[in-house]
Amino acid sequence: MSQRVFITGFGIITSIGKNTTENLASLLHRRCGFGELNVLDTIHSRTLPACEIKLFNQELCELAGVPHGKGYTRTSLLGLIALKEAIQSASLSPADVREAGLLSGTTTGGIREFERHFYELMDPQQKGDFAQFADTANPGEHGERMADAVGIKKYIATLSTACSSSANSIMQGAQLIKHGKLDRAICGGTEALSRFTINGFNSLMIVDPNHCRPFDNTRKGLNLGEGAAFLVLESERAVIEKRKTPLAELRGYGNANDAFHQTASSPEGTGAYNAMNLALTMANLAPNQIDYINAHGTATENNDLSEGFGIQTLFGGAVPLFSSTKPYTGHTLAAAGSIEAVYCLLGLQHRTVWPNINFHEQMPELSVSPVRELKQEMDLKNVLSNSFGFGGNTSSILIGLA
Amino acid sequence: MTGKAQYFIQGIGMISPQKTFDNQMFLDEITTYDQNVLTAVVPDFKAYINPIQLRRLSRMLRIGLASATICLRDAGIEHPDGIITATGYGFLDETEKFLREMLEMKEKQLTPTHFMQGTYNALAGLEAVMIKCMGYNNTYVSKGFAFENALQDAMLHLEEHSAAHYLVGSYDEAAAVQFIASIRENHFKAEPIVNLNLFNTATKGTIQGEGAAFFDLTGTRSENTWCELRDVAMVYRPETKDALAASLSDFLKTNNTSLEEVDVWLNGITGDAVRDVLLKALEHSDLKSVPQARYKHLCGDYCTATSFALWLGASMLKKQSIPEVVKGPAFETPKEIKTVLSVSHYMNRNYTFMLMQRV
Repeated sequence: MSQRVFITGFGIITSIGKNTTENLASLLHRRCGFGELNVLDTIHSRTLPACEIKLFNQELCELAGVPHGKGYTRTSLLGLIALKEAIQSASLSPADVREAGLLSGTTTGGIREFERHFYELMDPQQKGDFAQFADTANPGEHGERMADAVGIKKYIATLSTACSSSANSIMQGAQLIKHGKLDRAICGGTEALSRFTINGFNSLMIVDPNHCRPFDNTRKGLNLGEGAAFLVLESERAVIEKRKTPLAELRGYGNANDAFHQTASSPEGTGAYNAMNLALTMANLAPNQIDYINAHGTATENNDLSEGFGIQTLFGGAVPLFSSTKPYTGHTLAAAGSIEAVYCLLGLQHRTVWPNINFHEQMPELSVSPVRELKQEMDLKNVLSNSFGFGGNTSSILIGLA
Repeated sequence: MTGKAQYFIQGIGMISPQKTFDNQMFLDEITTYDQNVLTAVVPDFKAYINPIQLRRLSRMLRIGLASATICLRDAGIEHPDGIITATGYGFLDETEKFLREMLEMKEKQLTPTHFMQGTYNALAGLEAVMIKCMGYNNTYVSKGFAFENALQDAMLHLEEHSAAHYLVGSYDEAAAVQFIASIRENHFKAEPIVNLNLFNTATKGTIQGEGAAFFDLTGTRSENTWCELRDVAMVYRPETKDALAASLSDFLKTNNTSLEEVDVWLNGITGDAVRDVLLKALEHSDLKSVPQARYKHLCGDYCTATSFALWLGASMLKKQSIPEVVKGPAFETPKEIKTVLSVSHYMNRNYTFMLMQRV
């Protein structure tokens, strides 16, 4: 008998708050994290503003409760802060944690430290503090770091499917629970801004130097962001045994591939449609039972058009309320799926739909438009969260009230 | 796995530092290396990838896509239901190129090619485009667990749909950046050795290898089946030999088998005098009486080297032979090879087991 999968806790850090409380307050007050960079040292700090967490690594070490100078990359530190909040929020005991799985998504692991110390690391004769970052070009390094810091032993997986990484880590955690491999899985992703990422996206010419405008006709690209979020998933059996009241149920999920182009989505949004449709099918829900979609909505010309068509095809004339929260946090790449899953959970808890900031002009290709204003006292039961990435990866997860 | 499902390998494409891309051969020709870096022996890519696409691809993407094609042809299928890949360091050569360009050009006038081809899921994404596979697609990057994570992912899907086919692959390249950056950690030996002597060394470190492998994993048996993959397990940082032995014993018990039934075990030791200690202790105690084969002298050490072990075990079971070059201490090949067990480690942190069975 396959197990139902419940969400019993979560933790988050983004440019709009270093924990759940701060994120919620920012969402409610339309506070966005977009601005000039002053923690990361890059020539683009003024020309390509982004959603940066205004804390230096030393301060992050304190928040994460780990010593400074021990090789924790910014990716690991952001991850640990969210991971520890998640563990606390789900009231997991040390024994629960030890027997849990950790599934984390990343796009570049510790490249931020690797790029900073590259020349020193490439000269084996040199000695110094930088040597603590010798293995940070490995994306799995952060997963093991975090597992070691909190004492997870049972199962470790690091996933990297570009911007859908943490949605896939949530899905795989659910799979492991469903099939009885684990009773608890802590799933999410973490992403630190780096020169590598900023220059990579800039070379693809999809970064908007101004504040991004998802689903708007004048959209010119994405803003990058950093952050991390983790969800605690528990089996029905574990929830009953500990007499917990779950926050929500992970009812469905879908993963598909657009199989269209390495870095572009198909214009008709086939992958997006398939991922959402799979999630609905697994949850055994009809399209009209979905109350809200947290769209991937990166504000690139290509994504929003493709996703918009995918949504219209699936929901026909009855498209639910939808919005992209990317203007708040920027595109946090590997962490976006779990960060937005947390925003969906906050929406369900507080009966609120978050606005799609910066939407002013309707896209002529679409017949639907996103939610502009904060909507409260909403009757929300089931919500979808979309995450799509390079390599054609499309993922969608469906969260419902438990 | 404890479920009722079974998992069969129906096709393999393996490109490694040995001539393994030809499924008709089985380590008949051995390539030796004397600089601690083992690089792939590659086929003529034109036989697998169209020439226009070929020009645009990095070396490792060519290797990866070619091994996927070899696998699909071997399996006799064109449209798998999903693609799952695994890697430790990804396309690190491409990442290095973009990184160096960025540093040298001071973040100006960069082109995106190396950035795009450096993403970890580039192979799974390109393969999906190449064969128009719109199904499940995922990529694991968890060091020495990545390949096992990927296999387990496919196995869970096969529990749900036994007729499905998943293309499960791995890739890692012998990147100079990794070699240099890990000298400080003694990952690789400081003194040059001949790869075939790897297990006769008494120094710290191993030799660097690479490879790309794809396996067609399905829930039903066919004429093309190489072997059954009964189960996969991972043990993270076991503290003692006894803890590792206990995990192995649990693994065998879960699968209703015992060491007496294992005809040969694949020993994933790396020639590192320090990091091999636990596995060597297991070799000399619990696994003492089971004939063993070793392979990292042939493929080198890399995060997803257990894919070479899976190829090796599947080949032994299909071809009913054990090449002399892999035999640890020499032993007589059993009349029938029925069960193969792989026990491996990466950097003394990621320990993994795989159990393979003749069909």
